[in-house]
Amino acid sequence: MRIFISILLLAATLSAHAQIKISGRILLEGGTEAAIGATVQLKGTNIGIITDIDGNYSISVPDQTSILVFSYTGFVNQEITVGNRTKLDVILSESQSQLSEVVVTGYGSQKRSNISGSVSTVDAKEIAERPILRVEQALQGRTAGVQVAQASGSPGSELTVRVRGVGTINNSNPLYIVDGIPVDGLDFLNPNDIETINVLKDAASSAIYGSRGANGVVLITTKGGKRNQTGSVSYDAYYGIQRANRLLDLLDAREYATLQNEAYLAAGKTPLPEFANPEALGKGTDWQEAIFQSAPIMSHQLTFSGGAEHSSYTVSGNYFTQNGIVGGDKSNFQRATVRVNGSHDIKPWLTIGNNLGFTWLERQGLAENTQYNSPIIRALNIDPVTPVYKADGTYAYSNYTSTDIANPVNGIEQTHSTWRSNRLVGSVFADLKLGKNLKFRSAYSLDATYAIQRGFSPRFDLSNIVSLSDAPAPEKQLINTVFVGNNTWRNQQLENVFTWQKNYDDKHNITLIAGSTALSNRYDGSGGANTNLPSNDPKEAYISNTIDPIASQSAYQYASESSLFSWFGKANYELNEKYLASATFRADGSSRFGKNNRFGYFPSFSAGWIGSRESFWNIKAIDFFKLRASWGQNGNDRIGDYSFTTVINNGQNYTFGPNENITNGAVALSAANPDLKWETSTQTDIGADFELLDGRIGFTTDYYIKKTTDMLYAAPIPLVAGTAPPIQNVATAENKGLELSLNYRNKDHALKYNVGGNISFIESKVTGLGRGGEPVYSGYVQSANANASKTDVGYSLASFYGHVTDGIFQSKAEIEAAAFQSNETAPGDIRFKDIDGNGVIDANDRTFIGNPTPRFTYGMNTDFSWKGLELNIFFQGSEGNDIYVNTIRYDFTYVNRPSSALNRWTGPGSSNKEPRVSLSDPNQNARVSDRFVEDGSYLRLKTVQLAYNLPQNWLKKAKFNKVKFYVTAQNLLTFTKYSGLDPEIGNINRDNSLEIGIDRGFYPQSRTILGGVSASF
Amino acid sequence: MKFKSLLLFSLSVGISFSACQKDFLEKKPIVGITEENFYRTEADAIASVNAAYAPLQFQLSPAGHFRWFWGDIMSDDALKGGSGDNDAFSLLQLETFKGPTNTDLLESEWGADYEGIYRANVVLERVPGITMDETLKARILGEAKFIRAWNYYTLVSMFGGVPLVDHVLAPSEYNMSSASADAIWDFIEKDLTEASATLWKRSAYTENDLGRITQGAAQALLVKTYLWRNKWTEAKTTAEAIINSNEYQLVSNYADIFTQFGENNTESVFEIQYMNRSGGNWGKNNGNEGSLTNVFQRARGQFAGFGFNIPTQNFVDEFFKEGFEDPRLKSTVFRVGDPMGDRGVFTLAATGDLPHLYYPKKYFTGKSEDAPFGDPAPNGGTNDRVIRYSDVLLMHAEAAYHTGDEAGAKVSLNKVRSRVSIPNISATGNDLLEAIYRERRLELGLEAHRFFDLVRTGKAPQVLGSLGFKAGTHEIFPIPQSQILATNGALRQNPGY
Repeated sequence: MRIFISILLLAATLSAHAQIKISGRILLEGGTEAAIGATVQLKGTNIGIITDIDGNYSISVPDQTSILVFSYTGFVNQEITVGNRTKLDVILSESQSQLSEVVVTGYGSQKRSNISGSVSTVDAKEIAERPILRVEQALQGRTAGVQVAQASGSPGSELTVRVRGVGTINNSNPLYIVDGIPVDGLDFLNPNDIETINVLKDAASSAIYGSRGANGVVLITTKGGKRNQTGSVSYDAYYGIQRANRLLDLLDAREYATLQNEAYLAAGKTPLPEFANPEALGKGTDWQEAIFQSAPIMSHQLTFSGGAEHSSYTVSGNYFTQNGIVGGDKSNFQRATVRVNGSHDIKPWLTIGNNLGFTWLERQGLAENTQYNSPIIRALNIDPVTPVYKADGTYAYSNYTSTDIANPVNGIEQTHSTWRSNRLVGSVFADLKLGKNLKFRSAYSLDATYAIQRGFSPRFDLSNIVSLSDAPAPEKQLINTVFVGNNTWRNQQLENVFTWQKNYDDKHNITLIAGSTALSNRYDGSGGANTNLPSNDPKEAYISNTIDPIASQSAYQYASESSLFSWFGKANYELNEKYLASATFRADGSSRFGKNNRFGYFPSFSAGWIGSRESFWNIKAIDFFKLRASWGQNGNDRIGDYSFTTVINNGQNYTFGPNENITNGAVALSAANPDLKWETSTQTDIGADFELLDGRIGFTTDYYIKKTTDMLYAAPIPLVAGTAPPIQNVATAENKGLELSLNYRNKDHALKYNVGGNISFIESKVTGLGRGGEPVYSGYVQSANANASKTDVGYSLASFYGHVTDGIFQSKAEIEAAAFQSNETAPGDIRFKDIDGNGVIDANDRTFIGNPTPRFTYGMNTDFSWKGLELNIFFQGSEGNDIYVNTIRYDFTYVNRPSSALNRWTGPGSSNKEPRVSLSDPNQNARVSDRFVEDGSYLRLKTVQLAYNLPQNWLKKAKFNKVKFYVTAQNLLTFTKYSGLDPEIGNINRDNSLEIGIDRGFYPQSRTILGGVSASF
Repeated sequence: MKFKSLLLFSLSVGISFSACQKDFLEKKPIVGITEENFYRTEADAIASVNAAYAPLQFQLSPAGHFRWFWGDIMSDDALKGGSGDNDAFSLLQLETFKGPTNTDLLESEWGADYEGIYRANVVLERVPGITMDETLKARILGEAKFIRAWNYYTLVSMFGGVPLVDHVLAPSEYNMSSASADAIWDFIEKDLTEASATLWKRSAYTENDLGRITQGAAQALLVKTYLWRNKWTEAKTTAEAIINSNEYQLVSNYADIFTQFGENNTESVFEIQYMNRSGGNWGKNNGNEGSLTNVFQRARGQFAGFGFNIPTQNFVDEFFKEGFEDPRLKSTVFRVGDPMGDRGVFTLAATGDLPHLYYPKKYFTGKSEDAPFGDPAPNGGTNDRVIRYSDVLLMHAEAAYHTGDEAGAKVSLNKVRSRVSIPNISATGNDLLEAIYRERRLELGLEAHRFFDLVRTGKAPQVLGSLGFKAGTHEIFPIPQSQILATNGALRQNPGY
């Protein structure tokens, strides 16, 4: 764009008189690469020219005292007096400062130095630095104020991104805008295609997105070619192996049998005869070994890009595949993408372009992160006595389980679940120059997805004697079932934006933006199921292959729509590039709200002062200092499409008559809420940016207060209501945070290094609850049949809530001396604290026992490069968050336990921590308590990468621009006190902020070793 | 000029949007009907009351809460069974009176009952405003009142005082505390009295409505209610109204009652309808009409069941106390060596070597009755016989006895006995009362009456004491702990738990 403007500048000044003709070539630091499209300007005038594809320029200047200014984005400007030369070659050195980078903001872009809001950026260089599997990973630990956690370690699973913490109990996902297109989820996007990611953190930056901006906005720009750039072809590929980071230490068969015997005796029952001699059982089965495996990961990318004077393009293709460390190809993820981006100047006043991306992806899924039937929860709970296989090589079943906890290896084998989607996300746009200062852009975008979901549940029977059908329910399935679901999403947007920009007297720089957007979304879903296919082969699993009558097929069809219409405006004012002010306003009308509250209005203001540009600034070490302040309001409209009304649900049937006619019944299964209104967040931000020592040190800090009111949430309700809970405007919350990021970059001869770190402190708490002020319980824990999380005034969202343990009863006397727990409480049971002091342990003795929200998260990044060698070390961590361990199903008596159970109470003085084992657990030792709360803090060496670039002189001969080989290790080291498989636990359900920090057999992230190559010519 | 026209063009794009904005933002649900345009026709009224029937069928919502869990397993008639102690362990704890207060079994019962109450309340609020045939409307309102009363009957007999929800609750009303048990009983009486007045007699229904609530059903539940409250005179009068209506009579062959063709027979007063032809049945079975009782009660092993509700020796012995084998035993219990329908002969080996010598028979279904699709295990078609005419006769006998009409009591009691050709009872005084109680155990064995009869008649401490029953506590179950938490303590736990 700058180049484009330069061309116009040039055209405007062709008539200037020329006396001396100067020509030369501009090279980039290192002296081999040409600076294509660099600007050469005669100082003090607007006469200028840009270099051609070889870096050559030619310009005429009035006399020998003329000064030429050579500039190129990312490099230090050079000013050279012409003197008596006619040929002037220049080598530009790389700039350390980041202030001149152009930052994409809502409906525009600005120089970083002139931004008065809070925006974080991750650019292509940082993304290209190391292989990332998903776009969100590029943000993890890289930007202050953006918290990213893996929602699961399974391939293709999402990451939860939280901008400035969780601000609402409703959906807390940020708004993702890719090339101007609002999209749901980023799984379709190939990380290699990304040019920059900008995160709009404060309300002043995000308020222009109005009702969707409350959780922050992530703006992603994909790579387009640059004008006047020689075509290049690049190929990037890597291959790696993933392994589990750690496995848990569980009881082996001997230990298991010993504890089972004790448990039976404690409950007054005769131990099982087969456990009479535990030693004879040996170690038994290691179920974790049985389900975890090493798994490959691979990516190939081919990119073509280039540009001529009036046109530029990028075309890329990528294929990515990853197997899971649990289930291997049963949790495989594959993605193929094609991207075609281009822009073309059709007329001097008209530029058109497109950003089109097509994605095919396929994911095989296993049950995960559920406390009921995932392979991991089964492996952790099934007894070690049962072997994986029977003597005849078929799968064995456990004699002790009845539901849920089945043979996990067989469970994986019998799972056939595929999600295959074809998605086109694209936009076409036209940029019009409507005069010297006025521009207009009209863009139409389409996000169209067709996804098919297929499931097949084969026949199997693990019975020892099939005619007796002796296997328990989860270990046999006598009839197979096939399921198919078709989903289409079609989201269209038409956006028209006017931009007027003018500079008065080189002092006042004014930008005005006004526009409108119409967005419409439609979802259509249909599908069906049937049972009893003659073939048990998943490849032949199609509904029409069934032999059951049509009558037993089931079919469904859904459709829903929503629309959003908005007006928005923005005004930026810069005085002498010292005083900055900006205001935005957006009016959003959403079909998701009832008539009375259909429109929401979202204003924002911000101001900045660049102190270092004042004439009185005399702190030499500080090259740049800016103070910023902003205030704004945003909304959150993610409440589903028709929440304001209630739908009558048919199919609540009953049978009448001698022929048992199924007769339709109809009732609203959930309650309506006609008073539904917008959730609003109001945020105030104060920040400062510094650059010291010629840009070698950069420092940015922000402090903010974000208040969310009228939170929308379907809070669980007592069963007396008889309905599913309605969505209500229930709560208010406040997040306060401090963000710091510091970067130091320098070079010493051939050694270049960059050390950076960022840290984000967040304090979040609920400040009010709706209805009668009742707290919201969430985080259901099956083993205690109770919720482990509570959202209440004064505490952060979904804090852990339960009983407090107070050691173990060592004797009957201690039980009698303590508050009453149960009639059958015995020595060896846990003593719970009588919080309300009424002498009885009951629900009123629960209190807050942990906080799943970290006090702070941080990242540290170090890059070294020396000649062709590059080393990147990246740490990321989280501090002060707790995890509720819910991986053992204590509601079953037969489950295996961690080795810590060996330290159980066996007699007075034997343990004051680990209770006795008992089949019946009359004391409810497994109730929700601090016994299961652990410190989830961690520091993780996310990435270490060593790369080698082939020397330029070799490359020259082979006509290559770049050839790089690298080895990367991901998640190599983790420092944590957490006892589970993985402390990095995201939201289990991305759309529900109240399901956090509970380990329900979390699918862990893998330790991955990758080798890769990156080459271009 | 060119620019001007472009400008106009782009402005017009903007303006055209603002013009169609109103329609653009008006999105009504595409699939389904909203509350605003429902409740307008007779068909809507019928559909809404049908929806209130549906929760009667709930058995796993999401955990199991079969009527026979509470009526039989909790009593001296049956044990939990299953594959072992670990199979539904909390049920074992319940039947041995060891709590627990936080089992999802009780929570699911509670939830299903209140879901039924909500749906009945919707009918009672919405249907009166519909213009339609008034007799039909009165019947529908009567059906809804019965369904509401039935759910409260279940709640009050299980939990004592519970929250009294008599209308569709607004969000601000959710945190209800319990009304007294008396207030609930009063409410049930009122609903049933009103329902009996407007419900149709069984004979007034067309064949296609077989299975709907009748006047007789409302009266019979009212008799039960009166018995719980020791209102003997009212009980007797109401029972006589049923008897004299001539709408019901005992079927001649006791063994036929529990066969498929015995469904909705002449002695059926209130029967929850199930069928085996509709979809799989795990979970909250709104759309599916099958019963899980069949598979839960069938023996394990080759009988493809789960083997719950195992009859006790004490129960079986009761059938021999008059010096002969009561003929109803062979319709009630399978003994070793008996053929189990078309599934084979009952041997211990064939039942998976479990140590049970008896299995329940009333809800047994043969292979030929398996669902014609899908996994045959879950879906059964046997209706749940909730109130039979013999129950009405025995209730009448009990009420008559308490009002001093021993002769009337004996007439009703002996009607029940002579149907199975066993000698009349001629006892008087307390012996007669005991004979009536005993007759209930035999006649209605394994039909989910026993535990509640023991509690109602005050015999529970004596009969169940050895199993752990404590008077003053175990007459009612604990309030589900989850609900105490969900109401932030507005609900209180029952004493002793």
